[in-house]
Order: sequence, then structure tokens, then C-alpha cells
Amino acid sequence: MGRTSIVEIMGVTSLVFTDPGTPDTRGPLRYLYWLGRRQPRRVLTGTTLSTVWMVLLMVPPYLVSRAIDDGVRARDTGALLGWAGAVLGAGVTLAVLGTLRHRTMTMVRTDGLYRTVRVLTRRVVELGPALPRQVAAGEVVAIGSADIMTISHVLTVFGPGVGAVFGYTAVAVALLGISPLLAAVVLLGVPLLVVSIGPLLRRLQQADARYRGLQGELTARAGDIVAGLRVLCGIGGKDLFAGRYRDRSRVLRAEGYRVGAVTSWIQALAVGMPLVFLAVVTWLAARMAAAHTITVGELVAVYGYVAVLITPVSFLIESADDLGRALVSTRRVLRVLTLTEDIPDHGTRPGPRGQADLHDPVSGVRVPAGSMVALVATRPGDAVAVLDRLGRFTDSAATWGGTPLTEIALDEVRRRILVADNDAYLFAGPVRAVIGGGDVRPALRIAAAEDVVEALPDGLDSVLDDQARTVSGGQRQRLRLARAVHARPDVLLLVEPTSAVDAHTESLIATRLHADRQGRTTVVAATSPQLLARADHVIFLSDGTVAATGSHAELVRTQPRYRGLVLRGDEDVDQHHVVGDLR
Amino acid sequence: MRLPEADRAAVRAASMRLVREDRGAALVVLLLYGLAAAAGLGLPWLVGVLVNRVESGAGVSAVDRLVPAMAGFAVAQLILERSARYAGHRFGERALARLRERFVDRVLALPTAVVEHAGTGDLMTRTTNDVATVGVAMRDAIPEILISSVRALLVAGAAVLLDPVLGLCVLSGTPLIVLTGRWYLRRARTAYLAEGAASSELSEGLAATATGARTVSALRLGEQRVAIGDQAAVTGYHTRVRTLWLRTVLFTMTDVGRYLPVAVTLVVGGLRYHADAIPLGVVVTAALYANQLADPLDTVLERMERLQTAGAAMSRLTGVHGLPLPPAPDPRVPESDVLEVRAARFAYRPGHNVLSDVDLTVRPGERLAVVGPSGAGKTTLARLLAGIDAPDSGQVTVGGVPVATLPAEELRSRIVLVTQEHHVFLGTLRDNLAIAAPGPDDRHGDRHDDDAFRKALATVDAVWVAELPDGLDTVLGAGGIALDAAQEQQLALARVVLLDPHTVILDEATALLDPATARHAERALGAALHGRTVIAIAHRLRTARDADRIVVMRDGRITEVGTHPELVAANGAYAELWRAQTGTA
Repeated sequence: MGRTSIVEIMGVTSLVFTDPGTPDTRGPLRYLYWLGRRQPRRVLTGTTLSTVWMVLLMVPPYLVSRAIDDGVRARDTGALLGWAGAVLGAGVTLAVLGTLRHRTMTMVRTDGLYRTVRVLTRRVVELGPALPRQVAAGEVVAIGSADIMTISHVLTVFGPGVGAVFGYTAVAVALLGISPLLAAVVLLGVPLLVVSIGPLLRRLQQADARYRGLQGELTARAGDIVAGLRVLCGIGGKDLFAGRYRDRSRVLRAEGYRVGAVTSWIQALAVGMPLVFLAVVTWLAARMAAAHTITVGELVAVYGYVAVLITPVSFLIESADDLGRALVSTRRVLRVLTLTEDIPDHGTRPGPRGQADLHDPVSGVRVPAGSMVALVATRPGDAVAVLDRLGRFTDSAATWGGTPLTEIALDEVRRRILVADNDAYLFAGPVRAVIGGGDVRPALRIAAAEDVVEALPDGLDSVLDDQARTVSGGQRQRLRLARAVHARPDVLLLVEPTSAVDAHTESLIATRLHADRQGRTTVVAATSPQLLARADHVIFLSDGTVAATGSHAELVRTQPRYRGLVLRGDEDVDQHHVVGDLR
Repeated sequence: MRLPEADRAAVRAASMRLVREDRGAALVVLLLYGLAAAAGLGLPWLVGVLVNRVESGAGVSAVDRLVPAMAGFAVAQLILERSARYAGHRFGERALARLRERFVDRVLALPTAVVEHAGTGDLMTRTTNDVATVGVAMRDAIPEILISSVRALLVAGAAVLLDPVLGLCVLSGTPLIVLTGRWYLRRARTAYLAEGAASSELSEGLAATATGARTVSALRLGEQRVAIGDQAAVTGYHTRVRTLWLRTVLFTMTDVGRYLPVAVTLVVGGLRYHADAIPLGVVVTAALYANQLADPLDTVLERMERLQTAGAAMSRLTGVHGLPLPPAPDPRVPESDVLEVRAARFAYRPGHNVLSDVDLTVRPGERLAVVGPSGAGKTTLARLLAGIDAPDSGQVTVGGVPVATLPAEELRSRIVLVTQEHHVFLGTLRDNLAIAAPGPDDRHGDRHDDDAFRKALATVDAVWVAELPDGLDTVLGAGGIALDAAQEQQLALARVVLLDPHTVILDEATALLDPATARHAERALGAALHGRTVIAIAHRLRTARDADRIVVMRDGRITEVGTHPELVAANGAYAELWRAQTGTA
């Protein structure tokens, strides 16, 4: 047990506590080579073990043949016991070698698997906002679930591959010792046999791909039914969906029959063809035995060799297939690894000390140091664009305390300026950690999210899943706000932080947020009158540029379009659409 | 509420049912497997016969006479093996299709309240992952286990028939394999489940980091995400070491169990040959059988772990069948469109009343707004009114009949609840509307409904429909056109228009939309609601202001009822909220 744990610790150390290294991203083969080079000793051990194991597989048939010839037929009990003991000894050796081989290979795969994930995670983190701009997140998700497995799997092709070649050679030598004719038949016949299944394998792959496609579609359909089950319960259409599902299920079943037709041939041939071949070889060998060219023991040995030879040859064929699929998967991984950041981080100047004015030349928005400013835009996207520029999620000429944001180190910008989106991601974990750790109660109070936590079974220790799917939309929004407030950045840029919150709660949040941000810079893109009324001043953007600035009350009085936008339903023409029809 | 899992007996009964329903085919499959395995015994036996002939000095021609038999056995095994596998595969596909269709039917038959309370997450896992797991087992693991079991039995049987003493020798490795197998299987399921869970944790962590990449950057969570990923790798590593340890024991012992009987058979067979008890051919054949027994036993052990996992999945699938069916519908037909709540009380957890002593009469055609702070019980009231839940005590009736007991179709032709959660189904726009207008044969998309669909879309101001590439045939959702939130809302409302209920309950229907979008959606709402009774749960009081009556709720009770001017004049909770919202404090 003691040894196991030392091995384990060493394994973990090399796997996780060290830097995963810088991958070679110049091509899929280079990447795979790099993964192998990270663990040279393990790969070498694996190759050696595989080779020895494969060669030794040929030993038992030989020992059995000697036991029969020298022990049984020669009526020599001592030799019989000796050779039978050797069979058992070889068996135990093979068992141990085979297991060690499997263990080493599993470790090679594990290393490759986790190294790839760790390299990917680090790259994704570095890319940050550049990632969603360049690839769909779904692509990375697919890599994380399927591709990494394929890649790790192929890492163990090399060792056994070498072993298979040696194994094949060993049989060739053994057979040549018995009869050149048999050697020729077996050595040429076995590869032909395996290759002959090739075309069927391709057909199977095609049928299987169709089947998987249909299966995925059917699963998606079932998932869709469950996801929309509330709608189906409320609106109806259950029979419609049940019928559709059944139709598609029958199509899949029919496709399954087609896959079965091919698979069953392959499985039967995989067993049957070697048997036919074995029958031929046995017949040839038996004729030689009858003519006393070879012994009975050798006849049995030939039978054993043919059976054993199928292992390395099928392995080589499978490997070619594995390698093909692994290259495709590796290309997908490399696509993410080779993406480039689109917000260059060349800044060297320090940011302003303490609070400072923010300026966005594109829109003309100016945010005085330490104040709370609200942004109202005729097009909602415009306010968000301003915040993205001020928070440097897009590069622009925006300045902070007169220094262009592009000249300040990105890390400082991120540390001191926080853009809090309404659809920001909530990562899984205990509530306390989701909010940011430490004493999160004040932030929860400001976001009026105390009741969200109280309703959870273990309070702050309750574990939320990714995107906090178990709580309602309004509750999620308040958790996001609490997280942003808890970060206490010098500049907080908020996007519609209370759109899903009821009026009473919104009023609490507006008051508490204003008090909390006293003396620090805050910009809120919002249309809620309560938030607007609390802001030190409001900037009204029309078509992306500043149209008016003033207090909420002033703008309501002087700007009809502003009034229309923020007091909709109260004094606006839209009132007739919304409430007029309600009347 | 958690969805139940079925016990072993129920799982066994459900599995047996799948076999029983296709009994004839099952018997044929077993028979073919048996014949194929029997044919596989022929060649080692013939090798023994050959050895005997060679030993007795028979010439080459005696060997040649066995050629037809050898070829016959090999070809027979090939063909039997193929037929058996194919029949087995078809049997598995049929059973799997029945299983998944029945499961989806059952999911669709779940009472609304169960769906609402259990959520769809667990159900989703069962529908997708568990069905797939059982499917893999049915297609691969179960046939392999069956074939290998039959083969092992026949090899053992043939060896005993050949020579009882050598038969026992052939079986000498079996106890080792069986005991190790038991040891392994007792631990395998937990260990492999842990490994699987760690793998999904790892890929979900990476998925979250990728999906939330922008947030990672904004909140500087990079190091934390890397640490979480590394931690998942450590966990994963330990689970893999654990399963590797299990395989270390299993593989070593089964390999020893493969060679041990060969050695034993050689020694015992050799000694008996020396004693002239048996011919040499029998020794050879027995040694070959001894070597042949290990493979099927290995296969059984390795696949058993899959079968265990499939058993767990099956118990989750079968568990859903144990859920209640919707109550027998009330045969009474509502006499009027009047919705009445009498002394209603409701609790999700016993002792924690969410609604207490609620009395309310909704007059046909009126516009009723329900306001109050979060947690006041507004949504629960909406669910009782919509018939999703029945009150624990008291009554919620429409035209004198309890709402929750109305048959589903009857209910939705009268009362429809619209929430902020929408769903666009995979399929065409027409499919998405057809659910609200089930025709006699709408599985194939009835064309004569198209006019009604277009009218409903026009009613809710869905002008974007005109820009869709294929009109009503445009594919929506994944792989098709993605609708934005407001368009989804309009689609939901168009369904309401098609259903044409007399009462619509809106639960914060536009709350999650951004203001500009909400404005558009609310416009559509106005049109969709024309001429109906409307109960609007609102957090924006402006929606409430112009309602015919406003119901103010707090702590599960109705505290105030009246028109906007009345309530403002009353200077109660509503007036306070109103001042807070409009900033006229």
C-alpha cells in the first residue's frame, strides 16, 4: 500500500502541480509528439513492456507443443511436469507483464488527457472575451467531452505498435523453424485476413455514422420535449410530439437493423475467418505431421501461433483507424490553442491614482470621478457599447484620468474597472464563493439578495450549479449584482442590473447601491426610473452619442424622447398600446 | 421534489417485460447463439481426432478425409454466428425502441404539477443519458454477455463430455476467475461511476470556462478557473487510479486463470495417457478447450460492469413509470367563465404556508392586476388559478368546477398561463404553432391551418415572420433560425391566440426582456389579450395602474383590493409602492 501511494503522489505531482508546459501547436502530429515527449520514461517503459509482452505471447504455444512431444508422447513424467510448469510460469509472467503494460499505458493516456485539458483551460482563460468572438462556446464543449478522449487514446498506439511488429516477427521466426511453407501461409494469410475485413469496416463506419446522427437527433428531440414540457402541459400538443417521437424512433430502429446487418457480418467474420484459416493451416500441418515432417506437438503449436498472431495484426489495423480520428480531434484542439487575443496588452503606463474621470470620445460620454452616472440610450446596444469601451472590452480611444486605456496594463484595468453584464456567467460553487468569498453579507444586502440565500437549504454554503439554474431569473440577476458590488472595483459599470426585479426590491437596491458606491465611480446603463432618480446625473444617448445630460427630473421635464423612453406606460403614447388594450 | 428510482424487483420486472413481449425472437436468438457456440467446439475436437489418426500411423489420405468436416465446422460457425448476432441485434433494437417510446409517452403523461415541482433537469438526464446508457447495453453488452455465457457453458460441457476428469481440469481456472470477478464487480460500479462523474466535472468545468470566458476576464477569475480545472484533474486522476487498481487485480488473476487450466490439463491428461486411459487426441483437445474457456469468461466480467451501469439507468427510467398519473378528470362542465378562489391555503412544504385564506372572484372580462413584493405568493396564486396545483384546503373553481380537476384540453381552452419562460421547439414555425391547434392529422402539418397561424402571428404583431426564408416552414432553434427573446414571447402569445381561452394569466411575462424589447412584446400582448379576462402578475406598477382592479398581496394573503385611485387614496402598501416606483416620494 505504501508503494502505491508514493507512486500516486508522484503521478499527481507530475500531472497537476507542475506547469503543463507550452504545447507545440504547429500541427496535430507535432502536438501528439509533444504530449509523448512530456512523459518520455513512461512512454519508453510502455513500449518495452508492450514489446516483451507481445513476443512472450508466442511462448505458451511453444511450451505446450514441447509438453506434448517431450512429456506426453515421450511418456516422460519429469519432462511433462517441467514443461507444464513452464506453461504456468509463462502464464504468470504474461499476466504480470500484461497488467504492468496496461497500467503504464493508462497512465500515459491519463497524462495526455489532463495535460490537454489543462493547456486548453489556460488558453481559454488567456483568450477571455476574444474566445466567444472567434468560436462558438459549443465547439470547446465538444472538445472537452469527446475529443480529449480520442487524443489520449491514440497516445498508446506507439508502444503496442512497436510490440506488434516484434510479435509478428517472433511468430515468423518460430514458424520458419517448423516449416517454411506454413510460415509463408500464416505470415501472408493473417494480414490478408485482417485487411479483407477493411471494406466492411468502412461500410460499418458509414452506417454507424448515420445511426449516430439519427440517434443524436432523436435524443435532441426527447430533450426538446422535456425542455418544453411546461409549455406542452400548459398549451397542449403532447399527442403531436409523442407521435413525432415514435415516427423518428421507428426510423432509428430501421437504421439500427442496417447497422446490425453489417456489424453482425464483421463480428462473425472476425471469429469465423480466422477459423476457416485455422482449419486450412491445421489441415496442412496435420498432413505434415502424418508424413512425419513435423511432430504432433508442433501441429498444436502452429494452431496456437495462428490464434495468437491475430492479436498484433488486428491491433495494427485498429491503430491506423484510431490515428485518423485522433488527428481530426487534435486539429479541433489546436484551433482553440492557436486563436489570438484581440485586445492586445501592451500597456505600460500606470493607471490614475484613486478616482479619476472616464471619457469615451466615440459617444462623448464623460463620467466625473467618484460619481454615479446613469446611461439611457434610444438603442439599448449603444449604452452597452459605451460600457464595453470604458471597461476595455473593445479597444478605443477611451481615457481614464486622461491616460488612454490602451496604454494601461490590461491587468490593472480589469482589477480596477469592472463591467458587470446582465448575462454575465455564474460559475458553479457554494453561494459564498460564487459572490466572491469572504464576508459577502453586505453585498447581498445591497443587491437585496438576502432572501435568495435564505431560501436555499444550506444558506451561504448551498452549492449552485453553473449559471445558477436552480434559482429564478430575478434571483440570478441579484446574485450577479451582489458579486459585482462585492468586488468593490474603483469603477463599476453595470448593465440593466434590476430589469427582472420587482418595484419594491428595485427601490431598495437603488438606495443601497447609491450609498455603497459613494465616493467611487459607477455607471449604470438602465431605464428604470428608480435607478435613474438615484444617479448623480443622467446621460441621454441618441443614436450612440450624447444628446442631453442632467438629473433625471430635469431630463423628464426637458426631453420628451427621454420621458417616452423611461416613463413608458405612464405618460407615453405607448400607454394606449399597453394598458389601453388592457382596459 | 426528487424523481423516484425503481427498486430491483421493478427493474427486473420491466426488463423481463421487454423480453417477454418479443418471446419468440428471444428464443430464436438464444438457440442460434447456442448453435454457433457448439460449432466453435468442432475444430479443437477435430484437432484431437487428427492427432489420434496421425499417432495411429494413418497416412495423409486419412488426414484429407477430415477436410470436409473441418471446413464444415468453420463455415457453419461463421454463418451461425452471423445469424445469431444479427437476430440479437434486431431484437435489441426493437426492445430499445419500445423502451424509449414508452418512456417518452410516460414523460408526456406526467401531471403538470409533477413536472413543475420536480423541474426538468433530472428528467432531462433520464431522457437523454439514461436512455442512451441502456441503449448501449442492449446493443453491445447484453448480447456479448449472452454469447459469451453460452460459449463458456458449452466449452465446459464439451470438456466434461470428452473426459470427465479432464473436464474438471479445464474448469480448474474458473474458481479463480469467478472469485476475482465477484470481488471486482462489487467495487466496479461505484468506482466507474466516480470516474464518469469526475470526467463530466472536468468537461463541464472547461465548458463553463469557455462559455463564461468574458466573465472570467471581467472578474479576473482566470486563476480560480485554472485552479478548479486542475482540482478536477486531481479528482479525476484519483478515480482513474482507483479503477486501474481494480483492473490490475482483475486482469492479472484472469490471465493466470487462463494458463493455469492448460498446465493442469497437460499434466493430468499426460499422466492418464501414460496410464493408457485416454488417447493423445483427447489430451490435445482438452488443452485447447482449457485455453478457450478464459476468453468468454473475461468478456462476461468486463461487460458486467456496463450492465451494472445500465441497471442503474434502467432503475431511473423505470422510476418515472412509478410516478402518479394525472387524476381522473372531472366529468362536470363549468357552467360559466367565473373564476373563484375560496379560503385557499397552499404550502410547498408542510407548515410553510405560501398562501393563506385567499378569497377572490375574477369577473369575466375584467382586467385584474396582482402586485406585491417578491415572496408574497403571487406566482403561487397564478398556478392555482391556472390549475397547475390544487389548494391544500379551500377551493379554486371555474364555473363551479375545481380548476385542477378539469381535463387538460378542457382547461387550456378556458385558462392559459403565460410566464417568462418560453420554449421554441425544434422544428418549423408551423410545428411550433400547431401544438396550440391540434388538428385531426397534424403530424404531417395540415395546410388548412396556415391561415389561422398567419392570422395569429399578425395579431401579435410578429412582422418578422414575413422576412423568414421559408415562411411557416422555416426551421427554428438549433440548426435553424434563432429567435430573440421578444420574438419568442410573440410566438408564445400567438399560441395563446390560437388556443382562444377566455382567461389569460400573465406571470411577469415580459420581466426578463430588456426595456425596448419589452415594449414591443407588451404591444403584442395588448392585441393578444383583446376581449379576454386578464389576470396580470406585475412587478411594474404601470401595468397595474390601468387595470379594472388591483389585488395587493403580502405574506401569502390579499391585503388590499381596489382600483388605482382607490388604493392610492387608501394610503396603504400599494400607495407606498407606487410612490417608490414613480419616484414621487
